[in-house]
Amino acid sequence: MTRGAILQIYLPIAELPINVFMIFAMGGTVGFLSGLFGIGGGFLLTPLLIFSGIPPAVSVATVTTQIVASSASGVLSYWRKAGIDFKLAGVLLCSGIVGSAIGVWIFGILRSLGQLDLVISLAYVTFLGTIGVLMLGESMKAIMRRKSGKAPAGRKPGQHNWVHGLPFKVRFRRSKLYVSVIPIFGIGSSIGFLGSVLGIGGGFMMVPALIYLLRVPANIVIGTSLLQILGTMAVATFLHAINTQSVDIVLALTLMIGGVIGAQFGAQVGQGMRGEHLRLGLGLLVLLVGLRFAFNLIVEPEDLYSVSVIEEPVK
Amino acid sequence: MRRALHSLTTLLTVLFLALISGAPALAEKLVSAVSSSHVAITSNFTGTQILVYGEIARDAETVSRTGNQDVVVVVEGPLERVTTWRKDRIVGLWINATSQTYIAVPSFYAVHATDDLRNIASDDWLKQYRIGLEHLPLAALGTRAPALERNAFKAAFLRSRVQHGLYSQMSKSINFLSPTLFSTTVDLPATIPTGDYKVTTFLFSGGVLLDQQEQVLTVAKTGFEQVTFNLSRQHPAVYGALAIILALFTGWLAGVIFKKD
Repeated sequence: MTRGAILQIYLPIAELPINVFMIFAMGGTVGFLSGLFGIGGGFLLTPLLIFSGIPPAVSVATVTTQIVASSASGVLSYWRKAGIDFKLAGVLLCSGIVGSAIGVWIFGILRSLGQLDLVISLAYVTFLGTIGVLMLGESMKAIMRRKSGKAPAGRKPGQHNWVHGLPFKVRFRRSKLYVSVIPIFGIGSSIGFLGSVLGIGGGFMMVPALIYLLRVPANIVIGTSLLQILGTMAVATFLHAINTQSVDIVLALTLMIGGVIGAQFGAQVGQGMRGEHLRLGLGLLVLLVGLRFAFNLIVEPEDLYSVSVIEEPVK
Repeated sequence: MRRALHSLTTLLTVLFLALISGAPALAEKLVSAVSSSHVAITSNFTGTQILVYGEIARDAETVSRTGNQDVVVVVEGPLERVTTWRKDRIVGLWINATSQTYIAVPSFYAVHATDDLRNIASDDWLKQYRIGLEHLPLAALGTRAPALERNAFKAAFLRSRVQHGLYSQMSKSINFLSPTLFSTTVDLPATIPTGDYKVTTFLFSGGVLLDQQEQVLTVAKTGFEQVTFNLSRQHPAVYGALAIILALFTGWLAGVIFKKD
């Protein structure tokens, strides 16, 4: 116990004091990465908060609120640069909400089975590991190609994959796309689903999905993904406030202030960087977080026992 | 002669009954108090201390005892239900495999005493009055695990609580300011749960409980912390909407401040 430490602030919902500057720095670092890569940063921030002793339920719920703020300033930044396809973001958002609702339902079932932690860890390892490796491989290839002097494989007008053969096509002018809504709905809802189960925004999955499956142009993809994240996370904040009542507004605000400042710098740095370098960095980061979870599962823990309070004392 | 003997027997019986029931009618009486009956959790709350003090009062007629007098102070937080998990290696992964659930365990528990508990009273006494960590009734819910297993879980639970500063046991931590005046300070860590706490002071002499006193200590959030907490519980939709508005505003504000082009 640190007595008389002026940097400590008491969190009313988490019910413990925390060092303001530590939280501020965490928010700032994750915010920077969030602006840089066009991700919400939830997959980094949620584990960081849990590892620093904040109850998992509060961490997950509060991070959704923090992501609203950090993506809002990111969205503004990309909006000014005309880097958002509003129509595409709208379709993604609607499907994302459907996916989140299913996710919240599954979340409840898993929790009643008592193995939610395990499922979350396994899901982090699987998704982060897979996506991290894929991103690393792809970006390395792109960098090698550039180094060897070959022209980058740009999008040719006639280039199509199986996705472009699906029905219910809609035109997205800003993205110069004419694609079926089925894959868009698929991406939006599955990321919404994973997001609510894992307590993350899912931007790190959204960006590659939009690039590789739909072939959304690189200058549009991040802004559009951020707008979709903002929408889903705002809905998630509301649902958490009502269901789990574990959104800590003081913790959220501290994270936000650090986060939005970091995100501004991140977005500016990101604009000046090559896409493949960004993807390489993000791939590494995603892989590291996945490995961290794998480490926890594989290495024998120091203390095999853990205590969890099921029923809070009657207030 | 017979009459005198009879009255002596009656007196001894009364004495004996009073002794075993721990009734406060006897010689030594205990007067105890807590420095403050409220602990207010504010935004800069990083834990606090409470002072429990009191006096062993004697009637004028009472002959002072020769035996040692021992004081025990127990602070107990609101009860809660907890599960202790143990990980096992399953298919190469460390997974929560077995668990024991305890109902009605104190969320906070501190015991201070003038001596080692085992010098103060017998295990039966200590168990009856829930004095000492090992005497807390930790009965696992519906378990058929062998005693060895149950004890391992119990030890792990207590270890975890002690590590987090929520449980503590200290002997020789009560100071006598005079032969009859005593005091002790109990640490309340920053993570204490809110609710009503029971502060019980016991007076033992020669292994027998002479008197006990109970005070209530209320730990509650105040001011902004209380308003925020209540809003989140009583009007969750309003709270959620406020959180979103706050987030959007912060994001927008940052966007405006950092606008360059």
